[in-house]
Amino acid sequence: MTTSTEAPPPAAPGDAPEDAPRARGRAARKRLVPYWLLLPGILWLVVFFAAPLVYQASTSVQTGSLEEGFKVTWHFATYWDALGEYWPQFLRSVGYAATATVLCLVLGYPLAYLIAFKAGRWRNLVMILVIAPFFTSFLIRTLAWKTILADGGPVVGVLNSLHVLDVTSWLGLTEGQRLLATPLAVVCGLTYNFLPFMVLPLYTSLERIDPRLHEAAGDLYARPVTTFRRVTFPLSMPGVVAGTLLTFIPAAGDYINAELLGSTDQKMIGNVIQSQFLRVLDYPTAAALSFILMAAILAMVTIYIRKSGTEDLV
Amino acid sequence: MTQTSGGDVRLSGISKTYGSFTAVHPLDLTVPAGSFFALLGASGCGKTTTLRMIAGLEDPSTGTVELDGRDVTALPPYKRPVNTVFQNYALFPHLDIYENIAFGLRRRGIKSVKKQVEEMLDLVELGPMARRKPQQLSGGQQQRVAVARALINHPRVLLLDEPLGALDLKLRRQMQLELKRIQTEVGITFVHVTHDQEEALTMADTVAVMNGGRVEQLGAPADLYENPATTFVANFLGTSNLIEAEVVTAGGDELLLTAGETKLRLPAGRCRTTARTGGTVLAGVRPEKISLTHADDAGGIAEGRNRLPGRIRDAGFLGVSTQYVIESPGAGRLSVYEQNVERDPRLVPGADVVLHWSPAHTFGLDASQDIGAGADTGEEAA
Repeated sequence: MTTSTEAPPPAAPGDAPEDAPRARGRAARKRLVPYWLLLPGILWLVVFFAAPLVYQASTSVQTGSLEEGFKVTWHFATYWDALGEYWPQFLRSVGYAATATVLCLVLGYPLAYLIAFKAGRWRNLVMILVIAPFFTSFLIRTLAWKTILADGGPVVGVLNSLHVLDVTSWLGLTEGQRLLATPLAVVCGLTYNFLPFMVLPLYTSLERIDPRLHEAAGDLYARPVTTFRRVTFPLSMPGVVAGTLLTFIPAAGDYINAELLGSTDQKMIGNVIQSQFLRVLDYPTAAALSFILMAAILAMVTIYIRKSGTEDLV
Repeated sequence: MTQTSGGDVRLSGISKTYGSFTAVHPLDLTVPAGSFFALLGASGCGKTTTLRMIAGLEDPSTGTVELDGRDVTALPPYKRPVNTVFQNYALFPHLDIYENIAFGLRRRGIKSVKKQVEEMLDLVELGPMARRKPQQLSGGQQQRVAVARALINHPRVLLLDEPLGALDLKLRRQMQLELKRIQTEVGITFVHVTHDQEEALTMADTVAVMNGGRVEQLGAPADLYENPATTFVANFLGTSNLIEAEVVTAGGDELLLTAGETKLRLPAGRCRTTARTGGTVLAGVRPEKISLTHADDAGGIAEGRNRLPGRIRDAGFLGVSTQYVIESPGAGRLSVYEQNVERDPRLVPGADVVLHWSPAHTFGLDASQDIGAGADTGEEAA
């Protein structure tokens, strides 16, 4: 008798009790395969995301001091106090991030459109140029902007002689004859740093549009502008939503741009959290601020996705 | 929509080159108003490029496009009174069926589209589907939406680019009749591009057979089939037996030819080339025009018919007919379709037979052409 584990043949009655559990065991193992495959990812998430989150949540309701130690006292008032004290930084963060996101969209959409439809054989080259900044670190790129926007630098010189800075400072975006340490500098830095996160999803969704749809729209009496408004743009909405989220969310929590390109008047909520954690060492306030930021972004994103009608994206 | 009879299309010296590749050689073509016109050819023959130049989606390298006598060569697509049914339909995936169909009307600033859209939905029998998205429809339904979306604009000319290519055979037959019905009903000029010779023959009033960026022949389907002008048309439309023959006597109403040992007669009016005594022509005959008689009964064949001796190499029973492959000395391999009315049991492979047909069914072609042109690209019609 051959013992076949591959395909149990319709065997003599004596074989059945032996083969049946074996087949059942194999079926059970098969069912477990997806969970085994998920395991590394789940472990990673538990250790590096869920656990710190729970730890932060408990920190945010503790009281005490560094010397005496912190204890969980369910002191939810920390949240109200933090919000009461730092709401201007919250508003500023949302304002800067939103402005940078809009700028990224305005700059990134034509670029993505060009790469998707007009670049032809230059497509790959332009793509490489878009992602080229990733070859250096975020910090170094932002430091480079500090040099570019420096007082007495060429950019300030040119803008000054064109009287652009007079206009921007009248608008409250800059102060006097300088760019550095102004809201404009921080927004510029944010826009620059997050532009690729806007361009890449936009490009992906534009590139997927069948060019014959443009021809069909033209054939049905739509001028190029109307074709864009009625066909191209609606079809690129998944890219617009993904791009704005990928830009807005990290920009709202960013502190490096405000740190390097701004002054104390341009502090964003990220800077506050960072200094609460690392300088003031008021851990509960820092944790509470982190949670408020997270909840605020979650709420805004949910409303945004609902409004833009692309629920199937998430 | 009674007043919307179609417009005529006139192409003068139109051509298209991409770098060193010539997709369409300078071409003159007139599509009469209200006709169903088919551009037929294998893929890459320039038929779609020609259609796209009429639509304005492709700029011609030379020549002009006229619609109703008006030069539209320089007009962009959205200013031309033509609409296109695209291959694979190109329906707008983000709009429902209703909005897809209303698209053209809305772009022309027409506010009350409801009545017209509903009429059009009824015409293509898709009323209940109005609020579905294109991807929720079957291929045949999408195809009808594409037709409706174009027709609602009452174009002077409707351009169809392989509109049935993505459908299965049965649905394709059904849509052929449907399109023909719609065309008769609305009276719009249809220009239909296809690689399916049967589709072109059943639907169109006039067929232009294209090959290598040129129009090989233009005419009514029956005329093209009975009187092919080139070997390409003879082989691409159905099947032809082409026999290389020497001209014995030219002049008069009838040419006398010899192929090997046998004499063949060809009406002078059906010879597409100037035949000189001593020259060579290709004598052609369609497989269904030939009768088969067993060699023993050859005496009973009526006088005055073209006859060729041969031996059956292969016989394929097709139900209504039987397809024979005959090897004939001097004429090579010939194809014969016999109706299965009274089958002669002696007609089996290996039997000696005589092929005979009326001289009036013979056509003559220029022998300098490639005798096999179009034979592999066309689908064989049974």
